[in-house]
Amino acid sequence: MTTSWWTFGLQTVNFLILVWLLSHFFWRPVAAVIERRRQMARDLLDQAQADRDAAAQALEEARRRSAGFEEEREKILAEAWREASEARSAALVQAEAEIATLREQSRTAIAQEEEEAARVWTARAGELALTVAARLAARLDGAAVTETFLRWLTDKIAALPADVRSTLGAAGEVEIVSAAPLEPGLQRRVGAEIGAALGASLSFSYRIEPDLIAGLELRTPHLSVRNSWRADLTQILAEINHDERI
Amino acid sequence: MKSPLVTECLFHVAGIPIGAPVVVSWAISAGLVASGYLLARRLTLIPDGKQALIELLVETVDSQIRDTMRVEPAPYRAFIGSLFLFILIANWSGLLPGVEPPTACLQTDAALAVLVFLSVIYFGVRAGGWRGYLATFASPSPLMIPLNFVETLTRAFSLFVRLFGNVMSGVFVIGIVVSLAGLIVPIPLMGLHMLTGAVQAYIFAILATVFIAEGLESHAPGKPEREAP
Repeated sequence: MTTSWWTFGLQTVNFLILVWLLSHFFWRPVAAVIERRRQMARDLLDQAQADRDAAAQALEEARRRSAGFEEEREKILAEAWREASEARSAALVQAEAEIATLREQSRTAIAQEEEEAARVWTARAGELALTVAARLAARLDGAAVTETFLRWLTDKIAALPADVRSTLGAAGEVEIVSAAPLEPGLQRRVGAEIGAALGASLSFSYRIEPDLIAGLELRTPHLSVRNSWRADLTQILAEINHDERI
Repeated sequence: MKSPLVTECLFHVAGIPIGAPVVVSWAISAGLVASGYLLARRLTLIPDGKQALIELLVETVDSQIRDTMRVEPAPYRAFIGSLFLFILIANWSGLLPGVEPPTACLQTDAALAVLVFLSVIYFGVRAGGWRGYLATFASPSPLMIPLNFVETLTRAFSLFVRLFGNVMSGVFVIGIVVSLAGLIVPIPLMGLHMLTGAVQAYIFAILATVFIAEGLESHAPGKPEREAP
């Protein structure tokens, strides 16, 4: 019976020691590694969930940014359209202004050209008239024409104001210009009549200018008396031009 | 064949008689601790075959405790798991020639039953205090206090008697058959003895779990590890 109680006690202590040893060397380490693996799995799942949340958030952000880009694109396009429309309108306005300017310039140029052409044609007409007049004058009697122009010249001198006539008379030397050479007798008579018209005794010099076509003109250094077809045609031409400008 | 109630003394240590069941228990304990240490000394997060096997054992013990007690198994794992492993190996040790299982010794079973009885008190007091533990005797009615008290004693008695009877009878039957029919005939009975030994280890551990769980059935506050059923 003593052995039995000792056996009972030894078995009790033996089992308690066994529980402690197994708990220390077996149960706790194995449970710990299981728990560590579970914790790691939980961490991985949490991390995966966090990554998934982050990815979802990033996706949402990307979608939001994409929507923002779309909105920005629409805005930029609208702005570009608006600027293009404004530029187009401005270009149209500028083009219209330039066209108007060009048109005005063209109109002015055309008017100037027309005016120039008219002037040229008038000059040509004058020249033609002079040519025609010269040819007609060439068919006239030279002496009669000279007499006529001499009479017109004395009339013009007589029509001059007295002070002008006195100025001409005081000139000293007076040049008498004719379209054709004057014979010495005719020269003396012309000089005598002009001197009588001026009321002074003057010395005359004679010069020939075929451009006069026909006529006699009196010239001093300070004053001239026009009396030729050339002068008449020039005046007529000037009057015609003046009338056309008006 | 000697009486199962008699413990044979093999030798004395400091005047203490050491019987065969004690020696075999020491051997089993040493084997369990050495095996446990060797298996659990290099655990990794990615288990190999052996580690998976011992993790399966731990998970199974935890699952049984969790299903039976509805609590976290950590505080009870070492006691219940060691109880199961020791009784299982002790029962199966009888298959070795010349070895008598320690659980076929009445003193060994009585020691285990007394430890279960004390563990019920220990875990019950730790969970709900003395008042909470003693309150379990008044459940469902104070009139049940004498019956519950007697039940606490008798169930511990029945615990070791059941284990002792089953294992001892198996050893006796095998011994009688061996003595009568030779070496080959008892093999089916030995297989049956293995099955009986496993079932008895499981029953002993499960009943210990149930008894401890009943000791936790307290109405007193301060049982944080209890879960809602």
